[in-house]
Amino acid sequence: MNENLFSSFITPTLMGLPIIILIIMFPPVIMTSSKRLVNNRFHTFQQWLIKLITKQMMAIHSPKGRTWSLMLASLIIFIGSTNLLGLLPHTFTPTTQLSMNLGMAIPPWAGAVILGFRHKMKDSLAHFLPQGTPIPLIPMLVIIETISLFIQPMALAVRLTANITAGHLLMHLIGGATLVLTSISLPTAMITFIILIMLTILEFAVALIQAYVFTLLVSLYLHDNT
Amino acid sequence: MPQLDTSTWFTTVLASSITLFILMQLKISFHDLHKKPSNKYLKLFKPTNPWEQKWTKIYSPLSLPQP
Repeated sequence: MNENLFSSFITPTLMGLPIIILIIMFPPVIMTSSKRLVNNRFHTFQQWLIKLITKQMMAIHSPKGRTWSLMLASLIIFIGSTNLLGLLPHTFTPTTQLSMNLGMAIPPWAGAVILGFRHKMKDSLAHFLPQGTPIPLIPMLVIIETISLFIQPMALAVRLTANITAGHLLMHLIGGATLVLTSISLPTAMITFIILIMLTILEFAVALIQAYVFTLLVSLYLHDNT
Repeated sequence: MPQLDTSTWFTTVLASSITLFILMQLKISFHDLHKKPSNKYLKLFKPTNPWEQKWTKIYSPLSLPQP
């Protein structure tokens, strides 16, 4: 049972070949783009979404930070579409993989931090010590702040992984319980089924919210460093 | 937790970074996010005349080489 519960998070292979590459590359493939002035509904929706994200995310940034808008827009759309596609039955969700989330979290974070040290050396170093610290505590606090700086991308990746994995596990468990309960007592099964539907709606919301939170935190790190 | 099995990490990280940093950004940058049409400044459109409307210095009789 324990093996069965986590089996949907094993990286899928087809005849020994890793098909995770195809799965990860699937969302960008379905997101086509056209150069026409008047588009169909899908392209119009995509353009509306990109404009909305850019407006919401980039308003707080300086002109230097706004050069990242393509990066952040692609990040949120990629995570959001991957999460939503992963909610379809019998699919594999790449965002449950810690490796992929680390691969998405570390480069933008490192870029932002390096940018900060390159262009705003004093401000970046000042982040290592809060104002008004008593002198005996200074070495301790510098160490803690350094650790908290380096833990940021880990927290980012683990947050996304844990949220998506927990949602999928809960849906798996309640779905299994509903299936078993239908043969025991139908009214109880109905209650579990309603809970399952509510949970599914919640998971759709979580899929989008986690994409937004991930991008917002990357944007926040960028804002601190530009 | 099968996520902590590091044997598949290389493939996953490679695929995701290529997808995120190249494919996705290319897709988004191909969108034609045009601006709303706006009025153009009429002053920018200077009519081009095949003739000169004023006497330039070289044509001025006074600037011609004096005998």
